[in-house]
Amino acid sequence: MAELKKTEIGTFLAKQGILIAFAAFMIGFALANQRFIELDNVFGVIRSSAILGVMALGVTFVVIGGNLDLSVGSMMSFSTIVVLDLHDKLGPGLAILAMFGLTLALGAFIGFLVGYLKLNSLIVTLGMLSAIHGLTLTWSGGKNMDIANKSGTWFAVFGQERIMGIPVPILIFALLAVVLSLLLSKTPFGRKVYAVGGNGQAATFSGIPRARVVFMTYLVSAFCVATAGLLQASRSMGSQNTVGQGMELEVLAAVILGGASLMGGAGTVFKTVIGVLILGFIQNGLLLVGLDFYVQYIVTWIIIILAVWLDVAAKRGRLWSPIA
Amino acid sequence: MKMTRKLALACTTAVLGSAAAAETMTIGITQNNVGVDSYQTTYEKAFIAAAEADPNVEVVVLDAGGDVARQIAQMEDLIQQAVDAIIIWPTNGEAVIPAVRKAHQADIPVVVTNSNIAEQGFDFIASFSGPDNITQGSRSAEIMCDKFKDMGIADEARVVQISGQPGYTTAIERAKGFEDRLPEVCPNVTLVETQPGDWNREKSQQVMEAFLVKYDDIDGVYAGDDNMGVGALNAAKAAGREGIIFVGATNFSVGYEAMAEGDYWGSIYQSPVDDAEAALQTAIDVLNGEDVPFLNYFDTPKITQDNMDQFSKPVF
Repeated sequence: MAELKKTEIGTFLAKQGILIAFAAFMIGFALANQRFIELDNVFGVIRSSAILGVMALGVTFVVIGGNLDLSVGSMMSFSTIVVLDLHDKLGPGLAILAMFGLTLALGAFIGFLVGYLKLNSLIVTLGMLSAIHGLTLTWSGGKNMDIANKSGTWFAVFGQERIMGIPVPILIFALLAVVLSLLLSKTPFGRKVYAVGGNGQAATFSGIPRARVVFMTYLVSAFCVATAGLLQASRSMGSQNTVGQGMELEVLAAVILGGASLMGGAGTVFKTVIGVLILGFIQNGLLLVGLDFYVQYIVTWIIIILAVWLDVAAKRGRLWSPIA
Repeated sequence: MKMTRKLALACTTAVLGSAAAAETMTIGITQNNVGVDSYQTTYEKAFIAAAEADPNVEVVVLDAGGDVARQIAQMEDLIQQAVDAIIIWPTNGEAVIPAVRKAHQADIPVVVTNSNIAEQGFDFIASFSGPDNITQGSRSAEIMCDKFKDMGIADEARVVQISGQPGYTTAIERAKGFEDRLPEVCPNVTLVETQPGDWNREKSQQVMEAFLVKYDDIDGVYAGDDNMGVGALNAAKAAGREGIIFVGATNFSVGYEAMAEGDYWGSIYQSPVDDAEAALQTAIDVLNGEDVPFLNYFDTPKITQDNMDQFSKPVF
């Protein structure tokens, strides 16, 4: 009986290594500065992380499907600029619809190139990173985009309001996480994503339309990016053209930190959420501890490596495992 | 944008043919990264407009797109075309020095605009034309100190700083100007912490959120530019913390608006139009053999809620 319990704990540890790492960091930072775990700060961090988080949810699908998406940062800049610009021209409702349409079109284009033309996703999305940036600059003429009348619009709801005391970006992030988690784990589509990413040939032999599945993962990703752009635009009601620059790597870091395999076929939405929270809380925790900012870059890296190590160590059941 | 550049190129090629006849001077410019922000976009427009207004000047307008290698190639092109002078907005203060040296060796005077190259390159340039970031930092300190004195809190006020991207000259110089000047004018004001906002509004908002959690008592925020200052202001508004004095630099239209609404106290007025016109004028003066100061700063005055009606709203 006791023996069985021990194995259960062992299996739990093996599955949730990243969760343990997360808990350890939270306790460490909380000891260093107790304000770290005050509700206001926790809400603040999750709200800030929501933008990165929403993007990471989408990229989780792409990565599990065996591909990469490096274009999400500049796609988010595009969505933000477009919705801000159209807000003053079409009104908030139509602007949001149009922005989602345009962003999904970009996602469909990438999905077409990777899925149906079978081009390497790294090359395609790396190229799209620059191309979409160019598109954004062309759209805006290089100017910052601002909503002219910031107090006379309901557009601020998504980024700035609270419902029952909880900031709306957190609610949107949570809702999307639950929906996408169900989509990935409980539906035939979700299982196909794992199958295509895990073993493409086997998937084909099982009659799974690989191209369409890959295409769909990029649509999911684009939908998430559009949502992130909406949050971003609504939060600051104005934006630079470079607002999402560099976020593609942070997003990818969160997804990988959550344990999704870069080779495809493995990962969950829930663990991506943990990855996002780890990154968000590290940044906030280091600020609260008041570490010199040049050192913060180094410490961030150390914490990420520690988290990854704890995660794989829990899976393998041992800390020391050299390449044999 | 591309049109303009092609046009400019076509113009110059045409002019080069007849250059010997008239007293025209041809000035080439290679810019850092037009389109990346409104400042640089406005700069380019103002530069072209200023050149068109002067019948004796022809310009070749190039843009490096933020790419060092492309900028070096553009320098070489301009040397090949034998322009009379080159204006460069460095993509990188170190990496462009060999190209600048090459122009110097070809007897083409080089004027650096907006942000200077590293000191090792000073021997090869005729002049630097741009804002004086250290003075900007000290002026921001003075704006903040004066306001604290008016409020009667100059003996106890606590300030946080949100600086620009670590490693950038502009960020370093503004921070230095502010940090050196503040204790001189307001010796009892404490600068409690500095963190970078990376010239990014969203990042600054996050940094300010953390500051607000960490410190119950913040009287002033100095941000390395208004974009970051407005991010910090958004954070304070969301947290319901009132009465904080925000001072920035490089007055952006968002900062100007926030000042008009009474939320944001002051900034430093730096016009890309002045910047562009000063660069062109410096190059013209150098070609005319006039005495040009090596560091040729254009004035960037203080702007606060009190005197903002004397300034037009920035276009960027």
